Amino acid sequence: MNDIDVHHLAAAYALDALDQREREAFEAHYEKCDVCHTDVIAFRETMAHVADSLALPPSPSLKDRVLADISVTRQLSPLVAPPVPLTSRRIRTSWPALAAAAVLVVVLVVGVITFTRGADDESFNDQLALVLEQPDARMIDLEVQGEHPGTFKVAWSQSMGAAALMGENLPVAPDGKAYELWLVTPDETMAMYVLDPAADGSVHRTFDAPAEPAAWAITMEPEAGVAVATGDIMYLAEV
Amino acid sequence: MSVLRLRARQPEPPHVDDRAGSLLLRAGRGDQTAFADLYDELAPMVNGVVRKVVRDPAISDEVTQEVFVELWRLAARFDGTKGSARSWAATLAHRRAIDRVRSEQASRDRQDRDASLAAPSHDSVATEVEATMDRARVRRALSQLSELQREAVELAYFGGHTYREVAVMLGVAEGTVKSRIRDGLIRLRDELGGEA
Repeated sequence: MNDIDVHHLAAAYALDALDQREREAFEAHYEKCDVCHTDVIAFRETMAHVADSLALPPSPSLKDRVLADISVTRQLSPLVAPPVPLTSRRIRTSWPALAAAAVLVVVLVVGVITFTRGADDESFNDQLALVLEQPDARMIDLEVQGEHPGTFKVAWSQSMGAAALMGENLPVAPDGKAYELWLVTPDETMAMYVLDPAADGSVHRTFDAPAEPAAWAITMEPEAGVAVATGDIMYLAEV
Repeated sequence: MSVLRLRARQPEPPHVDDRAGSLLLRAGRGDQTAFADLYDELAPMVNGVVRKVVRDPAISDEVTQEVFVELWRLAARFDGTKGSARSWAATLAHRRAIDRVRSEQASRDRQDRDASLAAPSHDSVATEVEATMDRARVRRALSQLSELQREAVELAYFGGHTYREVAVMLGVAEGTVKSRIRDGLIRLRDELGGEA
C-alpha cells in the first residue's frame, strides 16, 4: 500500500469501515502523519454529531449495572512521558554479539496462562485481556540468553500504548540486584521498569509501552534500577 | 521511531471546556460520582450508536455496558488535545458495536431485527427535543450528499460494513466507495462541523 492510498483511508477508518489488515496498516501510518491525524480527529467529531442524532436512552437498570461494574474495575494509569531515552551504546553494540552467542533455551508457555494469586491477578488478567482485545495486539516469548531458568512472555498493543509482562520461575536476583525490563527500538533502548517478582518467582504486570518495540530485553541491574542498561541481556525477544 | 516523535506524544495540559470532558477528567482520577454524571451525559448517545449498529436491544444493552466500563478504565488516558470526550465515547461505542456485529456475523447470520423500536418512556423531554433537533440537522446534512455518498456512509457507519462490503452491496468499484466515503465525510464535516 503506498502512502497516497493510506491517506485516503482516513475517512473509512473514522467510520470503522476498514478490514483488520487495512486498519492496522492505517494505524501504523496515521500516528506519524499530521494530515491523517487531523483528518481522523475532525471526521470523528463530525460522526459524534451524527451519533448525537441517534440518541436513545438505555434501559433504566443499566446505569446501576455500570456503576456496580466500575466500582470493582481498576483504572489504567495515564500514559506518561516515556522514560529518559537511553543513549548507551553498550546495549546496542553488544546486541548482535550477545544474540549470536546466545544459547537458546526456549520454553514456550503456550495457551492459557493461569494465575493462582488473588485479587491483584484478577485486575492483571482484566488488563491483559484488554491489551489482547486490541486489533493490533501481539504476544511474544522472550528467549533465555545463557543457561538459567525463567520464562517470559510480553503482550502489547501499539495502538493502546500498553503492554503486559508475564514471567515464571525467575531465579532470585543476587543481593543488591534486580531484573529490569527494556523496550528496544531501532533508535533507542528505553527503561520500562524494575521487576518485582513474587516469592514463587512469577511476574505479572501491565505497563505503558510508549513506542513500537523492535525487541524486548531483560537485564540484571542495580536494585534501584538504571536509566542506561549496564548488565548483560538475560532474556530477549526480537520482534 | 525517533526521540522527537516520542517527545511529541507527551501529553500537553488538557484544555477541556465541555461538560463531558471535565467529567471524564475527574473520572480519570477515580471519581465515581463524576462518572455517574458522565453516564447521564453520554448514555443516550452511546446507546443510540450501539443500538443502531447492533439492532438487538438485549445485546445492545450489553455492549453499552461494556463501552462505559471501558471508558472508566481508560478515563485517565483521555487526551483532550486529540478530540472531545463525546467523540472519544462515540468512537469507542461504534468500534465496540462493530466488533460485536462482525464477530456475530462470523459465527451465524445476523438477525436483522427492526431497529425502530419506540424510545423508552423515561426519556426526558429535554433529551427528546435535543435529539429531535440533532436528528433534523443530521438528516439535512445527509440530504446534501449525493445518493452514492450517502448510501456509502450510511452502510458503513450504521450498517457496520467495511467499504469493500459496501462496494459489493452497491455494485461499484472499491476505489469508488472509498472516495465517496471520503467526499461524503468532508461534506458532512462542512455541514455539521468537525470541531469539538
